[in-house]
Order: sequence, then C-alpha cells, then structure tokens
Amino acid sequence: MSDTMTGEGPLLRAENVSRIYQDGQVRALDNVSMVIQPGEYAAIMGPSGSGKSTLLNVLGALDRPSEGEVYFKGQPLSKMNDLDRFRSQHLGFVFQSFHLLPVLSAVENVQIPMFETRLSAAKRAQRALELLELVGMGHRANHQPKQLSVGERQRVAIARSLANQPSLLLADEPTGNLDSKTAAEVFELFDQLHTQQGMTILLITHDPNLAACTQRVIRMKDGKIVSEESNDPEDLATDRARHGDPADDSKHPPGARRVTVRRANKQ
Amino acid sequence: MHYLTLILKNVARRPARSILTISGIAVAVMAVVALVGIAGGFERSYLSLYKNRGADLMVVRAGSTQQVSSVLDARLGSRIAGLPGVEEVSPTLVDVVSFEEKDLVGVVIQGLPVESRTVQNLAIVDGRRLRTGDVRAVMVGGVLAKSLEKKAGDTVELLEGESFDVVGVYESQNVFENGSLILAIEDLQALMMREGDVTMFTVIARQKDRGSLEGLARQIKALEQGLEALPAREYVDSTVEIRMARAVAWSTSSIALLIGTIGMINTMLTSVFERTRELALLRAIGWRKRSVVQLVLVESMVMGILGALVGTLAAVGLTRLLGSLPASGRLISGDIAGTVILQGVAIAIVVGLAGGIYPAYRAAGLMPTEGLRHE
Repeated sequence: MSDTMTGEGPLLRAENVSRIYQDGQVRALDNVSMVIQPGEYAAIMGPSGSGKSTLLNVLGALDRPSEGEVYFKGQPLSKMNDLDRFRSQHLGFVFQSFHLLPVLSAVENVQIPMFETRLSAAKRAQRALELLELVGMGHRANHQPKQLSVGERQRVAIARSLANQPSLLLADEPTGNLDSKTAAEVFELFDQLHTQQGMTILLITHDPNLAACTQRVIRMKDGKIVSEESNDPEDLATDRARHGDPADDSKHPPGARRVTVRRANKQ
Repeated sequence: MHYLTLILKNVARRPARSILTISGIAVAVMAVVALVGIAGGFERSYLSLYKNRGADLMVVRAGSTQQVSSVLDARLGSRIAGLPGVEEVSPTLVDVVSFEEKDLVGVVIQGLPVESRTVQNLAIVDGRRLRTGDVRAVMVGGVLAKSLEKKAGDTVELLEGESFDVVGVYESQNVFENGSLILAIEDLQALMMREGDVTMFTVIARQKDRGSLEGLARQIKALEQGLEALPAREYVDSTVEIRMARAVAWSTSSIALLIGTIGMINTMLTSVFERTRELALLRAIGWRKRSVVQLVLVESMVMGILGALVGTLAAVGLTRLLGSLPASGRLISGDIAGTVILQGVAIAIVVGLAGGIYPAYRAAGLMPTEGLRHE
C-alpha cells in the first residue's frame, strides 16, 4: 500500500457517479454519491435493475463511471494507471455464484489471487490454509468445489477474497444462491470478519433480515440512492414499524428518514 | 500451489482434448524430426563420402544437377593434375544398376582407380581389397551384401549376362557406400560402354594451397567450357538429390506443422471460451491482462512441449527402425543429429506460442463484468 493511500478520511467515496449505457439511453447509475468509512459494514438493497451491481462494479474498479469520480482513500480511481493491481491489493470480491475454479481444491482456489504477489509457493499454501481455518473450512482444504456444499463453497470464496489482505470486501448477493439457513451462517461469517478482523464490508442483498445484520442499509431505485438508514438496534424496530417491509422500496414514503451515517461502528 | 500445478491441472481438465492436441503436435514434430533428420543424415553421408576421400574440390559438368548426369572426358584428369597447387586428381565414374530379383533398383555403382585413397581406405570385413590386375572383380558394401546375400567368393550379375566376382565386402562409415558397389573404373567404363567417361574428378590441393581453393577452382574452370569446380560442402548442397530430400522434408513438415498449429488454436480457443467466467474472475480479482495472456500461452506451450517429447521419441524410434530395415537402410542412417531434435523442440514451442497467442489475447480482452455473466 503506498503512503499516499493511508491517512484519515473515508475509505471509499463516490462523487456524482453515473454509468450510462447504449448511446445515452440507459442510465444504470444516475448521479450517485456515497461514502464508505473504514471499518463500516453496509448493505445495498433495491429491486432488480436498480443499479446495485453497477454501483458495486464501479466502486470496485471493475467498471469505469461515465461521469463522476470514485476516490479510494482520497485517490481518484480514474488517475490510477493499474486498476488490476489496485483490485488485487486493496479489494476482495465475493460473488453470488462463487466462481471457484473447478479443477482446483479449496486451498488452491484461495491461492489464486496470491499469484499476483511475490509470495512463495509455500507461503501461499500456508496463508491459504490459515484463511480456510478462519472461515471454518480448514478441514475441507483439499476438497474440490464439487465435493462441497454451496455454503461451504461460498466460505471458500470468502477466504479467497481475503487472500491479499484487502481493506474492503465487496460482495454481490453473496447469499443469493443459498437457502436461508446457510445464508444466515454466511452472514454470521461476514459479521465475524467485521467485528473480529475490523474488515470493511459492502454487500448487496435482497434479504431484509440479512440486511438488518449490517450497520447501514443503502436503498437504490432507478439508478439512484433513495435512502440510507442506520441499523442502530434501537432505531430498527421503529423504522420497520413506520415503513413496513424495508425490502419493498415502493412503499417507502417520500419523506423517509435519510441519514448520512458517518461512522456507525458498534463499538 | 506452484504455477505449473495450475497449468497442468488446466491442461488435464479435458484429457481427451489435450491428448488429441498433443498428438497433433507430436505427429508434426515427428514429421520434422524424422524427415529433416533423414535428409540431414543423407546430406552428412554425402559430405563425408567426399571428405573421407580428402577431396578439396569436386570437378563436375556445370549444370549437371544430378550426379550421374555429369559426364567429363577422362583425359581432363591429366590437365587438372598439371595445374600448379594440385597434389592429386582422382576420377570417379558413377552409374546405377538394378537387382530386380531382390527388388533393388537404382543401386549406385562406383568406378574408381584401384590405387585411389577411397579404395585403399575402405575397411574390409570379408575377403580382400581390389588389386591391380583383378579381372571382372567387384567389392560390395556391407548393407548391400546383406540384401543380396553375397559374400566374398560369390559372383554377382551386374547387368544381364555380366557376372563379376565378389572379392570383398567393405564396411564404410557412409550409408551410401555401404549400399553401393565399387569396382575398377576401367571395368565400369567397359561394362557400361562408357570408355573415356568420368562423372567427376576429386582434386586434392597441395597443403600450402589449401587456403586458396577459390583460385584453384578458377583455374580448373578456365581449362574448358562448362566445368564446375566446387568445394565438397557446396557440391553436396548443389546436388539435386540433397535438394529434393530437403525440400520434401520441409514441405511435408510444414504441412504437418500448420495442421498442428491450427489444432492448437482450435483447442485453446475452445478452452478459453469454455472458461470465459473463470478467466473473467481472474481479471476481476486483480490478475493483470498480462497474467491471463501468460496463463493461456504457458498452457499451450506445455502442450506443445509434451507433443515435442512424444514426437521426438517417435521420430527417433522410426528412423532407427527404417535404418535397420534392408530396403531403407541403404539410404537411411539410423541416427538423428542433436540439432534436429533441438529444432523439433523449438518448433513445438513456436507452435505452442503461435497456437496460443490469439486465444490468449481473446481471453485477456474480456471485460471482467461481462465475462462473469457468461453462461
């Protein structure tokens, strides 16, 4: 990590970001601004096509915004000449369909991101095993993905996302392919990474119960952020009582509480 | 996990496809190594034939690309010998005979002065060497003797009704000589009704004049219209047999290589397409384009090298086999030069690269966000 990237301030900041497709017809992201503080644990919710994944891709330097700028620790991403390196060093990605390489064992899959570092083969294997232990998969290290349950696969994928010690974990519907029990277990793992490792996590979910486990819920619709809510335990009950099912954005009254949460750490 | 483990696991993922691709490369490399190796052996044998005679220059009829088509006047020999700087001149008459009953056609028969170095330096394994005063006597090369089932003391019919005594069987380092016959030049001239004819003269220069062979060659060419005087190396290069062998070897090999390369491109493209999501994932989690290109290229190179190993072993086995068979052993020396094997391996690496480069760039050009959605 270069020195210019350390220091105080938000970890990630999007400023008036738009993503326009097909000769300006589709505004998948429409003038979005948001801030992620170090150590934060936040969820993005919204109906299909609301721009959640586009936002995550733009924040994760997988896609460039058509307008606006994303800053990572104050550095504009558009000025970075090696975004691959940036992703490799600073970000961890978790996907809905895991994307494990089928020919590799769990412990080998976790090592894949480390090929972009200078770690020796022995160090890679050692670190991968430690990460599998961390996500509770140490005993399955030498299993192939097809020998693992879907929940176990996602745990391995999470271990892989941590391979290069990222400062931010981005997860696009990490529990979308899991049953509710397994999904809850995976969320428990995210929670544990957040509280015990101090990991900053931004994830997309459809499940309001799981979103409730995070500190902040960002709601999107039609490419815009329509609300941001703190999940302070005291607030939550009243919030739900007032607005009904939080997953249903359409029921949100226009005057819903909009909070720009600064640093909603539980500590 | 070592990088190579990752590569090998990817190659082993579709074993049937990988084995077929490797086989394609192996056949191509085998063609190159065997054919070019055989042509090369052919050439080396030819060269050593003249080198063993100590020949500095070969004098032939200019424009006669085929050895037997060169015809010179035997009396030219003394005129060449009279030139300053010439140590020794030896005439050779080359012709061909056939042994129909043994299915041997185009067997080379050489007429040489009995006292020449070539005759005197031959290693005799059975019987004796030709002597001055022998009448209708012939020496037979070891490989040919085996095919003809002749030994010293037998007779051999060179042309219909023309029987010669086999006085000895010789073993030469040279595969052509082992498959040919040698007799006194006067006997061959008489047999073929070519009195006064010579195919070529081998000229040995005086020690001190070795450095200026070009000057000597010019003087020889000035003796008569239509003479060619070449150093052994160039003479061998100029003969049509060698050029044919080379051309056939390389053209056949090129086709094999082209097919091998296309097979490789096909395999790697399919493999890249199948793994669109995986390769997109690698890009998403921070693998650089270069790393993805490298992954695909190393995979195809590993297959190329495996193909080269298999192909080279097969080629060595094949040439050994051909060299040991009586019918082909006359022409093929069973060994392949190390440089030819290196050529085969180098070609396999080139095929691996050539076959992998387009698929690799296709893979690297993939947008991670789109690739991950690929079904």
